[in-house]
Amino acid sequence: MRSPIGLKIRNLRKSLDFSQSGFAKIVGISPSYLNLIEANKRDVGGMLLQRIAANLDVELEVLTGDSEQRLINDIEEVFADPLLESLKLGPEDARNLVATNPDAGAALFRIYRGFLDARAEAVAMSNRLRSDPLLSELLHQMLSQITAVRSAAEILVDVPDLDEAQRQRFHASVSRDSLSLSDAAQNLIGEFERDAVEHHSVTPMREVDDLIIDEKNHFAPLETLGDMLRQEVLQFGGFTEVSLERALQSKFGVMVQRSESLEEDTESNSRQFKYYAEQKLMWFQGNCTMATRQFQLSRLYSELSGADQLLELVDDKRLSSPASKRLAYRALGSYLAGSLSLPYDAFLTDAEESKYDIDFLCQKYAASFEQVAHRLVTLRAPERSGIPFGFLRSDPAGRLTKQFPLPGLQLPNAGHACPLWAIYGAFRRPNEVIRQIVTYPDGSRYLFFAKSSSKRAAAYQQTPFYTSVMLACDILYADKTVYGEGLQLTNAELDVPVGPTCHMCIRRDCSHRQEEVLASVDSVNSLRTPLIDRKFDIGDEGK
Amino acid sequence: MFAQGRNSVSVDILIVEDEPSILDSLDFILSRAGWVIGSVTDGEAAISAVAEMAPKVVVLDVMLPKKSGFEVLKHLRAQPGTKNLPVLMLTAKGQQQDRRIAEELGANNFVTKPYSNSEVVDAVRQLMEQAEA
Repeated sequence: MRSPIGLKIRNLRKSLDFSQSGFAKIVGISPSYLNLIEANKRDVGGMLLQRIAANLDVELEVLTGDSEQRLINDIEEVFADPLLESLKLGPEDARNLVATNPDAGAALFRIYRGFLDARAEAVAMSNRLRSDPLLSELLHQMLSQITAVRSAAEILVDVPDLDEAQRQRFHASVSRDSLSLSDAAQNLIGEFERDAVEHHSVTPMREVDDLIIDEKNHFAPLETLGDMLRQEVLQFGGFTEVSLERALQSKFGVMVQRSESLEEDTESNSRQFKYYAEQKLMWFQGNCTMATRQFQLSRLYSELSGADQLLELVDDKRLSSPASKRLAYRALGSYLAGSLSLPYDAFLTDAEESKYDIDFLCQKYAASFEQVAHRLVTLRAPERSGIPFGFLRSDPAGRLTKQFPLPGLQLPNAGHACPLWAIYGAFRRPNEVIRQIVTYPDGSRYLFFAKSSSKRAAAYQQTPFYTSVMLACDILYADKTVYGEGLQLTNAELDVPVGPTCHMCIRRDCSHRQEEVLASVDSVNSLRTPLIDRKFDIGDEGK
Repeated sequence: MFAQGRNSVSVDILIVEDEPSILDSLDFILSRAGWVIGSVTDGEAAISAVAEMAPKVVVLDVMLPKKSGFEVLKHLRAQPGTKNLPVLMLTAKGQQQDRRIAEELGANNFVTKPYSNSEVVDAVRQLMEQAEA
């Protein structure tokens, strides 16, 4: 969804008492071009938009409305929750709320997220109660002990003619079983206390995601450090697995081993690699790909060399718990490794020259599809940036396991996305890049391209696990990519009509619809209706 | 372990329960109600005890060592001699699943722990009357 930038620019310009020709001169364009921009007849971006923003004395986000748009999308998601269905609030209400009281909107969304987390915790807790063997064992013990105590106590009270021996026997039983019961209760309460302490209202994962999004997935200090560390590695003969090994050994005394799982450590059976800090040993599973080994060696070099900077970065008030700090540390360590292996300027040049051909970049830099795709998203340094991309990763169940947003592109907050997206089509043609041009209900158009691939199996019995990675960019940039070649970029009628995810999508006539449209937009029930329509409730419109 | 009855072979009620305190109480209240009681503490012993002691009613707990109460019940229902032997099962509160399985396997009635003694006595009495009818 594009925001009406032109009008905003015009209003701000006028409020600062600039004439159109005067302001046009300041930002270095002709008055007639500025006129077209203000009338929303020309898109404006890049350096020009930055100059305009600077001279209007506002932040870029104010003009592009990116953060505003994200909040509108977030609040739409809140209104779509079944809990609020009867209120029939929709996109228009979300826009109004953000326009008139954005702080209240932000507060609403924050509470909603807290509610979602609380609900998820409750479900997890309930599942745990049902399936945790320790808890069910404790509960069973307690039940038996209560039964025994009650039965014996009843006998003592109800039976008048107990002889002394019998009386003593049952008293002893009550005493003994009460004691066992107390012990079991202590253990049970201990289990619950442990859970209470770990509870947070916003999950660590979300905090880390938000921080990365806030920073627009670009960390200049890590880029600088990455360049420096790369120079260190290059001293050992190019940038390869071998030179990384030598650098690790020389600087940190770390050794590298490749073999089947280490017998002493059964945990390593399910992993591709592990670092044993005490022994200073980096171990790789025998079937690990070179791309993985190279990346993980970069990561180790990064974590060992950059510990101070990484710690500084995670000392951020946006990370409120040790768990989020740990997750952020890991994510930033990986970022640093990415900047080491895929150095910014060289990588950007190669990306542009190859028209963002990811397979080409993979083989040039000995990196995996996901590593290259992820790096492309981070090329957002102000003066030298690549195409703005959104990034998504899905598991075979359709669950989105990682995402970096593209301003303007509406993504589902969690769970799965629109079934028509290339990210899912890619599972049906593994190891091939699938591409598509899509149109959203609001008319915005994007190029999506995705590839699914699996880790190498180590044995016949191992089931290969596929993940799919997708990049998305605005149609404006499609012709700069190799994936846009040969497609009819200008004919929107050939686009695939999609939405973010079924319950947030207003396409009533989509034959792939899996979930009902959110009630606030359209109270028509079109899915899974009987052949013969009837009303079932007061207020139910039927078909 | 406990009273095997006047006649070492035949009893009225066989109790199958592994918790000693519960077994003790059950033995006491059922004896007091006038019946001859035999008891065992695991599922395998239960099967041979049914053959040896020929009880009129079996009080059977679900959670047992060696063979579970369900396996014992299934075995009893598969033998011509014990196909219709009245069985009272002791299930745990909150285990709806257990009740369903027991019903399907052919238990005659249930008592849910924790129970009051009178519940058990009444349930057993009902089954005894059916057995003697």
